[in-house]
Amino acid sequence: MLRWRKTWEIAKKDMASIRRHRYVIYSLLAMPIIFAIVVPFTSIYPMLSVGEVPSTELPPFAPANVPAKQAMILSMVNMALLMFMFIPAAIPSTIATYTFVGEKVNKQLEPLLATPTTDSELLIGKSIGAFLPGIAATFASFIAFVCLVDALTFSTFNLLILPNPLSLVIIFIFSPLIGIMSVEWCVFVSSKVSDVRAAMQLGIVSIAPVLALYFLFLGGILTLSLPALAIFGAILILATIGLFFLSKATFERENILTKWK
Amino acid sequence: MIELEGLTRKFGELIAVDNLTFAVGEGEVFGLLGPNGAGKTTTVRMLCCLIRPTSGKAFVGGFEVGKDSLKIREIVGLLPENPGLYDELSAYRNLDFFAKLYDVPEKKRKENIEYFLRMLDLWNRKDELVGTFSKGMKQKIAIARALVHEPKVLFLDEPTAGLDPEAAMVVREFILELKKERRTIFICTHNLDEAEKLCDRIAILNHRVVAMGSPAELERGLWEKTTVVHLRSVNENILKAIEGIEGVRKVEAIENKLLINVDEPEMRNPLIVRAIVNAGGEIEFVTELKRGLEEVYMRLIGGKNA
Repeated sequence: MLRWRKTWEIAKKDMASIRRHRYVIYSLLAMPIIFAIVVPFTSIYPMLSVGEVPSTELPPFAPANVPAKQAMILSMVNMALLMFMFIPAAIPSTIATYTFVGEKVNKQLEPLLATPTTDSELLIGKSIGAFLPGIAATFASFIAFVCLVDALTFSTFNLLILPNPLSLVIIFIFSPLIGIMSVEWCVFVSSKVSDVRAAMQLGIVSIAPVLALYFLFLGGILTLSLPALAIFGAILILATIGLFFLSKATFERENILTKWK
Repeated sequence: MIELEGLTRKFGELIAVDNLTFAVGEGEVFGLLGPNGAGKTTTVRMLCCLIRPTSGKAFVGGFEVGKDSLKIREIVGLLPENPGLYDELSAYRNLDFFAKLYDVPEKKRKENIEYFLRMLDLWNRKDELVGTFSKGMKQKIAIARALVHEPKVLFLDEPTAGLDPEAAMVVREFILELKKERRTIFICTHNLDEAEKLCDRIAILNHRVVAMGSPAELERGLWEKTTVVHLRSVNENILKAIEGIEGVRKVEAIENKLLINVDEPEMRNPLIVRAIVNAGGEIEFVTELKRGLEEVYMRLIGGKNA
């Protein structure tokens, strides 16, 4: 039986702790700012001022049934949306590295393990502490991105192009799944390394599915159709479940004190 | 309060803790003394339900280790070898966090945090980040953390390790204060002086219990009682007079000092004193030879004949 009050206390403590880590704060601020502000201004804004776009120059993933220029802008927006999945992959992974490996290296886990909390309460509490800031940063960044893109493109489309169904799927389904997966992966990594930098390097593996989707889409191998997104979603769900069991088996008092490196 | 029955822990082929059987009473300060790697920390971890025994049983506060883990963790406080505080949080926030995990009600939580921080002379620095504290101050905060939920049993693993003499003294004095409060305290240490000063009973551990008892009992178990007589000068007549007394096993003269191994010294020391005086000896003072825990320890663990 999970006691949410204790779980939440652990999450709150971890979130309070990471506020003091400059590297984490920079990641929390830098990535969302890049995706919300820099990307629209560097990839979408220049498209607005070009004249006509020859249809031969359209990328393979450009939507059909719209004028070439609009198709190009929509393609850029979709590409930018896919990039949003990097935020929940990278930020929770960075935080989890500090709260799991960092605490292990600083020998802060033993007093915590001695408290009357269950392994699940500790694991879930610490996972929430790493997950929430990442997902909050993703949402905040997404809202800023939507506002900026709509403001920039309204005169071209005469309608608000965001949020569209793809953006909602990415933000509300894929991003949380990727965030959870990245924390679970970091828990596993924590048991294998005893160095924060090494953990960060291994933790970055959690962006692999996002990269795969991005390049498959970019190369035109994958279209952003409903079946393709459903398959990707199903893969994410299966991976999340698999990693949950792996992290649960890893994060066990006895293992942490006797087997973790 | 604590009972161990054949408690054993193996790591693969290595037997870290072998068949420990003893009990620690309520209000007792019990010391586990042994070299590095003797199994002290493993024993504490088992008793705090952090790792499971391979075989045997242990009970803390009537709850069985491995079966009532949450209940045991509720009634024990642990000071691990490394304080493991959150440097990026304040002293108050560190204690508040742990008190919450122990379900200490809010009013009591505030009272206890203030009480322990004042007692340890850190109340004025309660809002400062622990990362800015000295090693001694961190150790004090870690002790306060172990106590903030008022545990029935306190486990202290090397409580003064790495502290400067002054900080170590403050910590030892604090433990003596806790002793007055009749808390059950289980101390792991390889500081012999500390164990002798703080503990009612000591178990010398080297994977298994090598010896157990009060410091005086441990000493008595290894050596015959020795009376030391300091004289103005020692001569043959005095030695012969003493050797003639029944129950005197051995007499050794070192400068102006006589070391006399004797059965039942309380009964025979007056006879010895009279014999010395009758032989013309001038006694300065008479004492019992105290060997101290260090000699006991070295004899049992160090393999030296002290």
